[in-house]
Amino acid sequence: MRLTPSMLLRQNLTRNLTRSVLMILCIGTAFFLFGLLSSFRAGFEGSEARADRLVVSSKVGGNETLPLAYLQDLKAMPGVAAVTHITRLRAYRSADPRDILGANAVDPESYARVYADTYRFTPALMQALADNRTGVLVGRSLAEREGWKTGDRISLTSFVHPNAQGMSWGFSVAGIFDGAEPTVDTNFLLLRSDYFNTALVRGKDQVNLFGILPAPGTDPDALIQRIDQRFANSSAQTRTQSETAYMGAFLEQFADISTIVQLVSAVAFATILLITANTMIFAIRERTREIGVLKVLGFAGPAVMGLVLAETLVLFLLGLALGLGATAAVLPLLGGALSSIVPELYLTPRAVASAVVIAAVLALLTAAGPALKALRLPVASALKQR
Amino acid sequence: MDTIHTDIELASVSKSYPLGRSRVPIFEDLTLHIPTGDFLAIMGPSGSGKSTILNLIGGIDQADAGTISIGGTALGRMGERALTRWRARNIGFVFQFYNLMPRLSAAENVELPLLLTPLSARERRERVLTILDIVGLSDRARHLPSELSGGQQQRIGIARAVASDPRILLCDEPTGDLDRKSANEILDLLQMLNRELGKTIVMVTHDDSATRVARRTLLLDKGRFVARQEMPACA
Ligand SMILES: Nc1ncnc2c1ncn2[C@@H]1O[C@H](COP(=O)(O)OP(=O)(O)O)[C@@H](O)[C@H]1O
Ligand SMILES: [Mg+2]
Repeated sequence: MRLTPSMLLRQNLTRNLTRSVLMILCIGTAFFLFGLLSSFRAGFEGSEARADRLVVSSKVGGNETLPLAYLQDLKAMPGVAAVTHITRLRAYRSADPRDILGANAVDPESYARVYADTYRFTPALMQALADNRTGVLVGRSLAEREGWKTGDRISLTSFVHPNAQGMSWGFSVAGIFDGAEPTVDTNFLLLRSDYFNTALVRGKDQVNLFGILPAPGTDPDALIQRIDQRFANSSAQTRTQSETAYMGAFLEQFADISTIVQLVSAVAFATILLITANTMIFAIRERTREIGVLKVLGFAGPAVMGLVLAETLVLFLLGLALGLGATAAVLPLLGGALSSIVPELYLTPRAVASAVVIAAVLALLTAAGPALKALRLPVASALKQR
Repeated sequence: MDTIHTDIELASVSKSYPLGRSRVPIFEDLTLHIPTGDFLAIMGPSGSGKSTILNLIGGIDQADAGTISIGGTALGRMGERALTRWRARNIGFVFQFYNLMPRLSAAENVELPLLLTPLSARERRERVLTILDIVGLSDRARHLPSELSGGQQQRIGIARAVASDPRILLCDEPTGDLDRKSANEILDLLQMLNRELGKTIVMVTHDDSATRVARRTLLLDKGRFVARQEMPACA
């Protein structure tokens, strides 16, 4: 075997293997927590709500409908670049009421235009849907959750929207679409409103929402007023909001969660810092004599200090790898279970980058004391220690 | 071999330690000349300052007053870094309790100071093998210190001290923890290093047999050196 400085490092890391392993586990736990929490945060942040797009819903409540006929009026309104309409199917995968699944009947062409920045509807996908009346486009995360592939036949149950066959709706998967960003919620499917509307036995020509893409330079508040005033004397009054305001409750929740995430992460890291700093102080104190010997042999203070720093850094990097590795392993499992709360759970590059920075800073803070002590250690008194 | 002298010169050296608010002197105005190639044994009661003298000569402790120079270079003038580099090249330390790195093998312990030299890994290995041969432990190269006897550990300690070929060896009670037989082997080894390899050796010891191998013996008592011959017969 060949002696190298890295061998000294390994020697120090393995001399008390239990201690090193416990420290790595401890650091790993903190980064596991950090990884999980920041993924949740990224999941919420990734909410595709946009301030410039508008949502028109019934003034009475979220579950009430609006007449499809409003579409023409909205289209004709100045400041409106594109309008689309959405009817929620309220469909279940099975008879189990917990098994609800997002399924929206839409006009594919206008929908793709209004939400062009949010989802990736390729020409091939659009064509596949146009070619197949009972086709559906399935969001990537829903397709992965259900294990659906293009061409699969699927069957959904809707208790509010019966057709001639009863409550069962059969579709075939025409394609799978992605979000424009990995954090965009794609846990739903889109079916053709023309097919849906004709197949319905009651409740035809009703929609839940209109989505509006305002023309560039339009004052959104003025447009909102214009829309709601237009239908003020109609049987179904509207309530128009920006998409972010529409998702308001959700976003408020996000703000709270963000604060909690930061708080919990900070507490976790502060705890880790105390534990590791304490452990390193003991580890170095135990080695006082050896450090003294290294200095007697002619190893300079900075070299000895570097050894202590490197040792701590390695511990933190191993902990970091362990923690984020565990996060990456657990997220897919959690993602399935929590898909109704958080759209997409995944470890963002930003979270990984900040974890690396945090690890480096914590390692420095942890090692600073012991390393400086090693640097300054008076050799003569170090050798007196037994 | 170069003939540059490495005489050790202590001129009017004083050293004290703080005790509360005052300072306790260990010795004052101490003067000592150790010529190149000497083998000096320093004896004296515990606490008389023997280790302190070795530490001063090795540049790991500083005098309060006076100058310590080696080969004409005053240690007090050197900065911390220069002193560390100088020590790596010129001084080998041997300790009473060996102070080997517990998780490095015998050979790796000997190689440790060579990491500071420009030698290649191959040259280092060759040097280590040569030195292990000199101290008679070629067959223990891969053993950990805990797998060696006290005498063997001390021989590795000496091998490490001479690995980078320093001119001066400072030994602090090198036989203090050994049985008679091992102690004699260590003393013989040191004598060989002095006689055959020309190392200047300063050895602090309680071991009367040391006088057998040393060229000179001095007694440090109450802050002063007295020649061994001047000591009372009972000592
Ligand atoms: N770091 C220190 N602080 C205070 N006193 C010390 C220190 N180091 C040594 N001494 C004192 O200095 C004296 C000489 O110590 P030392 O050189 O180790 O003696 P010896 O090696 O002869 O036994 C002793 O009385 C010891 O207690
Ligand atoms: Mg001593």
